[in-house]
Formats: sequence, structure tokens, C-alpha cells
Amino acid sequence: MTLARKYLNAILRSRKLLIQTLLLCFALMIFTPFLMIVLRSVGRGWFGRLWLPPELTLDWYRWAVEVTNIVEITKNTLVIALLAVLMSTVIAIPTGWALGRRNIPGRELLMSILLLPRMIPPIAFALGVAQIFYRTDLINTHIGVALAHVSICAPFAILILSATFEALDERLLEASGVCGANPIRTFIHVVFPLILPGVLASMIFTFTTSYNEFTLTLMTYGKDTVTLPVRTYLAIGEGYWEVTSAMSILLIIPSIIVLFMIQRQVAPEKLVGGFKGV
Amino acid sequence: MLKRGSKARFILITLLLLSPGLLTFFLLFFYPMMVTLTRSLRPEGEQIGWTLEHYVTFLAEPRAREVILLTFVLSIGAVLCSVLLSIPLGLALRQKLRAHRFYRLTMITPRVVPGLIGALGLLLLFGSRGWVNLFLIRFVPFVNEPISINYTIPGLILFYTWLYFPFIALTTLAALEGLDPAIEEAADVAGANRWQVLRHVVIPLITPAILAGSVLTFMAAFGAFSIPLIAGGNHRPLSVEIYRQIDFTPARWSAASARAMIMAVLQVIFLTIYMRVLRRPIT
Repeated sequence: MTLARKYLNAILRSRKLLIQTLLLCFALMIFTPFLMIVLRSVGRGWFGRLWLPPELTLDWYRWAVEVTNIVEITKNTLVIALLAVLMSTVIAIPTGWALGRRNIPGRELLMSILLLPRMIPPIAFALGVAQIFYRTDLINTHIGVALAHVSICAPFAILILSATFEALDERLLEASGVCGANPIRTFIHVVFPLILPGVLASMIFTFTTSYNEFTLTLMTYGKDTVTLPVRTYLAIGEGYWEVTSAMSILLIIPSIIVLFMIQRQVAPEKLVGGFKGV
Repeated sequence: MLKRGSKARFILITLLLLSPGLLTFFLLFFYPMMVTLTRSLRPEGEQIGWTLEHYVTFLAEPRAREVILLTFVLSIGAVLCSVLLSIPLGLALRQKLRAHRFYRLTMITPRVVPGLIGALGLLLLFGSRGWVNLFLIRFVPFVNEPISINYTIPGLILFYTWLYFPFIALTTLAALEGLDPAIEEAADVAGANRWQVLRHVVIPLITPAILAGSVLTFMAAFGAFSIPLIAGGNHRPLSVEIYRQIDFTPARWSAASARAMIMAVLQVIFLTIYMRVLRRPIT
């Protein structure tokens, strides 16, 4: 009894160690699924109660590349994501400016209306989008799929940008004017550097949203616009888990590279929309 | 006179600036919603006539109640599990120990990689031959057979939690880091032990942040589609039920639309209640 208490006390005293262990368990919980995919994709004859695959092979990757046109799918996904980012930013800059800098009666209400697409389950309006797109021949075009993505990307871009523009200090603009800068110079040397982080954050956010979007893509894709998530879904349906794993690893690489590049530019929390007001 | 002219001009410019956002909203959200609504009121495959048949048939099925209940159980379960995970995690991360930045990145990983790939990994990990079951058989007494986790409701809640907890974790962590250390010190000086400080000071102070994050997690979990589609097995929440209607030929667009409208209305009602409760000061 006393011994047990002694141990308990010792554990409690080394709190730092305890917390480190807890965090490590957490990291394991997040990363082991990916490790499983990697192992599955390089293992052969991994049956029964074995911890590790008995034989290593790259055959599944060869299969994956032969069966799926990886290059084409990556290109589709990137083109669609870039189009969605472009359109959302073009839409969000003026709207965000108006919402952030001008006194609009009922601003809160307007904002919640614009954010409504994020509140309703995407599948509900994806059905409508699909029907409209079938009628207007936008199904199976890059621009069509990107437009479908804009419906949920734009609201968040507007939210981030309006917060960015609202934070601009009026006095800085005035000071620049007093110092003799014309509006264009003020914009280039004062406004632009101040809003750049916000605009970048919004673009990155839209990019990841579009890159990972599944519901709206599934409703509007065709054989020429298969994207990464849709291809993974189809592969899971085909049932060859080894090949599916290899394919997922190949398909996830671009997203990891993009993430690695951007996480230095912007606080990674921004990616989830963990900014104030949400 | 001149003033009124410039005011009108100001309003006009504001409207012009707002128009791209409003146009997007109406063309890509409102109009599709209206199309879904109209479709749900039309007889299957026809362009004219009105009927409530699709709502009635779906709601009259005994399965309808099951499906709706399942959707709620899954999303509320995911919210609760996420809260239980986020509080200790936030408290641990607040200390800024070694590899702090790494753990912060870890926290948002599930939201950044495509959800389907995450789900695939989880299916492999929790499968009957996955590491979790091997671990349980090897180290936990009385477990000799693999436990089925995939394709069960607790398993689904686990998957949802894995995918959607970052919303709550982030708001919780932000609130914890924003806390004034003086408050906790004051409680400490007043003689509260560590548990009492946590229970009576820290938790009440971060509750609003947890609730704000839980709204996001709830919305995401309620509308979750990819996870239950591949990992749900026979358990089909509303979103999968909708997709099943149009997955095969002949596609039943009207039936799918009716279910989609029910889903949207349910979510709006639930969120309105939730927000009401949130606004009330928590005592």
C-alpha cells in the first residue's frame, strides 16, 4: 500500500515527464494511421497477427501508377484548387473591403448570411449545384468543379479578408497622405504590405479547402476532372487496399509539399479557421 | 444638395463592392438550395406538378428515425470526445515544453490532409489485423479475439473525433494561452490546490471558447460525408442516405432532395437552439 503510494507520488512529482508522455501518445494517435498506410503500401503477404509486413515490395506503387494516371489527377486537383483560390480571392477582396471598412447597417446579419453556406451541410446544396451544372454543361469541366468549390471557399475568404481590412489603421493611411504620397503610392507602400499576410492566409485556406473538398467534387466531377479525394474514394471502393494505400501515398505528397512550404509563411492555425470571431 | 449626391455615390460604391460576394451567395448557394427545394417537391423525374410524397414516404419509414438519431448520436458523441481530448491537450501544450511547435502542427494535421486518406489509415489501424487489435490481444488480459471497431458506432465516433477535434482543440488552446496568469496565482494564493484551480477557475473561464469550437465540430460532424461513406458500413447517417438515393440508376433526385432539405432544416434548428443556449450566461 505504501509502496503503491510512493510510486504514485513519484509519478505525480515528475509531472513534466507525464505531460511529455501524454503528448507523445497524442502524436502517435495522429500519425500511426499514416504509418499504417505507408507500411501497407510497401508490404507483401502481410496476413495474420504480424506487426510488420514480412516482405517489402514496390510492386503496389508500380500498379498504382499503371492503373491510375497520377500525373493527370494531380494536375486536375491543382488546376481546380488554383482556379478556386483565384475566384474566391477576386470575389472576397471587394466584398471584404466593404464589410471591413465601411459602415454598413446590419453588417453582422449580412456576414452571417454570407457565411450560411458553411452552416448548411454541403451535400444539401451540392444536389442543387449538380442539377444546375447538368443543365448548363458545367459538369466535368475544371471551371465547373472550381465554381462548386467557390461556394464554400468564398465565405471564409470574405471572413478572413474583412477581419484583415478592419484591422488596417486609418491613421497610417492619413499619415502617408500627409507625407505627400498619392493614393497609388500609399497603396503600394503602406496598404499592400499590411494586408499581404491576411490575403495570403485567405488564399492558403481556400487552397486547402478546395484541395481536400470531396462532397462537392463527387457531385460535379466527370472522367476528365477526377481529383485526388475522388480517386482515393474510387480506389477504396475497388477494394485492393495495398494498391489504394500506395495511391494515397503518391497522392498525398503534393499536399505535404504545399503545406511544408506555406507553414513558414503563415501560422498553421489559420488553416483551420482558428481565428477570432469564429 | 452636393452632400446628398456624394452620399448616394457612397452607397452605390458600397453596393458595388458588396456585389461579388452577394452574387456568389445567390448563384452558388441560394439558387442551388432553391433547386433542391423545388426538386424535392416535384414527382420523381418530372418537371411539373407538386407533391409532398418524398417527405411523407421518408418520414413514415421506421428507418428514418434511426437515421436521424444516428446522425445526432455521431455528431454529439464526436463533440463530447473532442472536448474530453482537447482540455488535457490544451493544458499540456500551454506549458510550451520541448517540441512545442511540432505538437501544434500535429494538432491540425487531421484537418489538413484529405479526410479520406485519414479514414483509410484509421480503417487499417483499427482493423481486425491492425496494430490496435494486435496490441490489445498481446497486452490486455481476457482479450483473445480481435475486437471489431471498424464499422461500429463507437468506431465511427472515434473516427469523427480524430478528424474534427482540431476545431475545439484550437479554440481551447487559444483561450488557455490568453488567460491571465494572475488569476490562477490568486486562486493558488487563496489556498486552492491544483485540481480546485482547474475545476473552479480555469474550466469556467475557457468554457465559452470550448463551446465556440464545439459549434464548428458539430457542424462538421453533422454534415460529415466522406468518413461514413467509406467507414460507416451499415450505419448510414443522413448524408450517406442522401447519396445512396442518387448513387445508382435510376437516380432518385427528388427523394435525395427531400432528405437533403430535412437535413438542412434539422441542422439549422439545432444550431439555433445551440446558439441560444450559448448566449445565456453560464453560471
